[in-house]
Amino acid sequence: MNTVWVMVAFLEALAALALPPLLMSVIAKTKAWFGGRVGPPWLQPYYELAKLLRKNAVYSETTTWVFRAGPIISLAALLTAAALVPVLSNRSPLGFPGDVILVAYLFALGRMFTVLAAMDTGSSFEGMGASREVTFGAMSEPALFLAFVVLAVATGSLQLSQMLGPTLLDEWQIAGPAMVLVIGALLVVLLTEACRVPVDDPATHLELTMIHEVMVLDHSGPEFAYITYGAALKFMLLGSVLLHVAIPHPESFVFLDPVLRVVELVALAGVVGVIESAMARLRLNRVPLLLAGATVLSAIAVVIVFARRTL
Amino acid sequence: MTLVLTSLAILVAGAVASLALGRVPRLALRTAMSAILASAVLMALASGAALLGIESQAPRNAEWMLPLGAVSLALDGLSAWFLLAISIVAASVAIYSPAYLRSAADREPVAVFGALLCALVASLTLLVCAADAVLFLIGWEAMTLTAFLLVAFHHESPEVRRGAWMYLVATHIGTALCVVPLFGVLCALAHTTSFSAFAEALGVAGRTTPVVLFFLGLLGFGVKAGFMPMHVWLPAAHPVAPAPISAFLSGVVVKTGIYALLRLLTWLPPLPSYCGHVLLLVGIVSGVMGVLYAIAQHDLKRLLAYHTVENIGIIAIGIAVGMLGQAAHDPTVAALGYAGALLHVTNHALFKSLLFLSTGAVLNSAGTADLERLGGLAKKTPVNAAMFLIGAVAICALPPLNGFLSEWVIYTSLFGSALQSHGLSAGPAAMGILSLALMGGLALACFSKAFGVVFLGAPRDDSVRTQPTPAAMNVSMMALALVCVFIGMAPGLWIPLVLSATSELVAATAADITARLDSVLATGVSLSMMAAVLAGSAAGLVLLRRALLVRARRSNPIAAPAIPTWGCAYSNPTPRMQYTASSFASSLMISFRGLLWPERMATAPAGAFPAVTHLETHTSDMAENDLFQPIFQGIARLFAMARTVSWTGESGPHEPTRPQSSHRMGPLRALALGIVGALRRGTIQVYLSFIVIMLVILFLSEAIFSPGATRLMTPPIGQESTIEGSNR
Repeated sequence: MNTVWVMVAFLEALAALALPPLLMSVIAKTKAWFGGRVGPPWLQPYYELAKLLRKNAVYSETTTWVFRAGPIISLAALLTAAALVPVLSNRSPLGFPGDVILVAYLFALGRMFTVLAAMDTGSSFEGMGASREVTFGAMSEPALFLAFVVLAVATGSLQLSQMLGPTLLDEWQIAGPAMVLVIGALLVVLLTEACRVPVDDPATHLELTMIHEVMVLDHSGPEFAYITYGAALKFMLLGSVLLHVAIPHPESFVFLDPVLRVVELVALAGVVGVIESAMARLRLNRVPLLLAGATVLSAIAVVIVFARRTL
Repeated sequence: MTLVLTSLAILVAGAVASLALGRVPRLALRTAMSAILASAVLMALASGAALLGIESQAPRNAEWMLPLGAVSLALDGLSAWFLLAISIVAASVAIYSPAYLRSAADREPVAVFGALLCALVASLTLLVCAADAVLFLIGWEAMTLTAFLLVAFHHESPEVRRGAWMYLVATHIGTALCVVPLFGVLCALAHTTSFSAFAEALGVAGRTTPVVLFFLGLLGFGVKAGFMPMHVWLPAAHPVAPAPISAFLSGVVVKTGIYALLRLLTWLPPLPSYCGHVLLLVGIVSGVMGVLYAIAQHDLKRLLAYHTVENIGIIAIGIAVGMLGQAAHDPTVAALGYAGALLHVTNHALFKSLLFLSTGAVLNSAGTADLERLGGLAKKTPVNAAMFLIGAVAICALPPLNGFLSEWVIYTSLFGSALQSHGLSAGPAAMGILSLALMGGLALACFSKAFGVVFLGAPRDDSVRTQPTPAAMNVSMMALALVCVFIGMAPGLWIPLVLSATSELVAATAADITARLDSVLATGVSLSMMAAVLAGSAAGLVLLRRALLVRARRSNPIAAPAIPTWGCAYSNPTPRMQYTASSFASSLMISFRGLLWPERMATAPAGAFPAVTHLETHTSDMAENDLFQPIFQGIARLFAMARTVSWTGESGPHEPTRPQSSHRMGPLRALALGIVGALRRGTIQVYLSFIVIMLVILFLSEAIFSPGATRLMTPPIGQESTIEGSNR
């Protein structure tokens, strides 16, 4: 039995690591459908990764080792975080009490090295993107942590795989409104951290208006493959957190669980695609208001769960 | 304890030798630094032994008596923990300083520098090991004075004198108004100056006294620690001090305020929860405002000084959670909070010293710490860049370095407090989590700016000449960086050391604390495991990248040339087009302008061929400009009235010009001004006659209003008995 579980967990992890580019493809397809186009093939992100991995890298003469370390440490941080986040089932490969803080700070580690690599090029455009990234990152952090407070109070645990576990089913019945607010906050955090509309527009054609895409302008070859894959992985990890809160699965699902989660992730990517098709990117000075709004949402959720305990 | 006494003796000998060798300054400096290094090793051994419970913790009394107090030294867990931080920072500064002062050795009195540094380390040791109020105050004052003299080392520039002066005045106001009265009350309650009697005396002192004492301590020690808004001396003194002294100030001297506050808490009975809430609020304000001001700075050392305010705020949050846990009778949360605060004390000492030493290396190689002029130093001084990066990652509390460990423990304690408290009383803990998260994000922004602008990109100013960093500087920074990495990678080996210090604070045995923090100790192993996963995946990705690039080069042997950075189709970019520190920070400055009030002076370009335009931004410290400056100016104006005393009756040289009032003067106002004017013009004889008149009035009033005329001559009963008691 034990070996079977290890095998299952291993296959799950492999599937989870293979999934992220597909989600990007779903977003692209949705946007193409809204635009009345066919869109790129479903496997296009995989083709692009394969192409980049075969290519040689070109470096700017301004850069140092920090530029080369940036993509590596960012992706390593995301992979480490991936070991702690439950994606396709209620379990995560690794976990310990308090790992939820580690996950948030691993994302921050990735962000810092992406930003430093961007600043290493000495380009004003990349500096601009870096400045925006750290600004919005700092502002989304309180919303994320308050959402964690709600989950910790709801489940009595500080381990991410338990905070996102089936205990949340009870919480939905007791403090449903709080959970809805948390989902709203987490959605904003997801869109900010994964650099999607309305915070950032990955499809924009002008470097002046980009955030994430402009930071990685000078990367090429395998390093750019790391960055592209890392961005997709980050989207999937934060999306999984959101989905586990929104749709807790009971333990009894067992083998149905991974299949359902894949479907849900694809649906979430579809929703993000719809958001990107339906609205434009916000003006940059409006984004802090959106993030403050997300913080307020999760603060209200915190108040609800605290008040609920006194009754 | 013998080790501590030996190291004190070595320090005194080092100071004397350094002064005696004043003719050969380099040798003198090296002697003093060797003395510090030797004593640091001994102190580290002593504190290690005390923390692991090898040595007994009974106080050691010397035979000689101090006036009013006794020479009594003790090394309990709390003292040992701070002594450990002192010894590590002292050792690295001792290795660093000779190289830093090498060029100054011929022009400046470096022998005095060495002697003063010895004295500073000795007074710090005395301070944290004192078990007697008078001895403590002697150490406190000696530390303040030696640190003042060291800050004023380059006293030729007015900026330096101002910073050092602000430090001296600020700490003395705190000492005179709060610390001395605090110990006065404690000694009066306990009828002795010995620390061991304070706790018992406070246990029966009623409910208000401990609260009053706590707030006195918070104000008095808070000045030294740099809580907002008493932090104003930090950003003034840190940038002007020599870099090793800045490292010492930020790493250790500031922490003595925290030590004293914690020492006070060991005597006080559990305080009502509002005390904890006040401290939590102080921590949150210090933390958030500290990091926001840090982002606004243009000078690297000022930026780091404001970051010290932020980290002191984080430590205060940890202590506050500890106090709240005690108030709620929850020893687990209390132990977690105190342990987190203590861990952050040493961690901050380590990475902040590292950052200040690295900034000193920047100053040494580029001659400036102005963020707008630096750039591209990573190519010129690669080792220093790596050291600053390690410090930056650690201070942003990013895994896998030591900063993450302490913030993680503080987060855990906050979450624990939120989970344990009932209903909405968990609100403060949630506030703490929110602000800690915000601080983390803002610190990341701040250090991305600092590291990115100074070390990455291209040099912004051609006039800045860079030279390599001396090896001794690199060695001392590497030692600090290694400790940072070690604590971050193997927290399971480091956390047990903090337990005996924590047990002093929660009034439980170390074994009990170990049992309560079992989960945290177990997690230490998990954190090491995750650090290994991170390092492993990074190594795997490096190898994969190398293999892929080798394959790609084999299929296409023409090497890709190094090209200029992609300028988005602009073909002739220059270093001046880089994003500057101010522009990097501007989006955050704009978002938080309601808290910071940045000033902006700009002349907009006009016309088809605009002339030279000008933009200046400046963020001044609100506490300094809007709180203390008006108060001190008012006091200065009051004193200026009495200042014009002279034997000859001439007015002093610095007569302040009084603003002429434009409107008509009323008769009362004219009279008052006339009297004040007459007083101010007075010679010393006039003042003496005033004193005589005042005394006559006093005697008369006493004679008229008191029932017995003899009362004036005999002292009251209580006073008499104390005089007798002291005679015996």
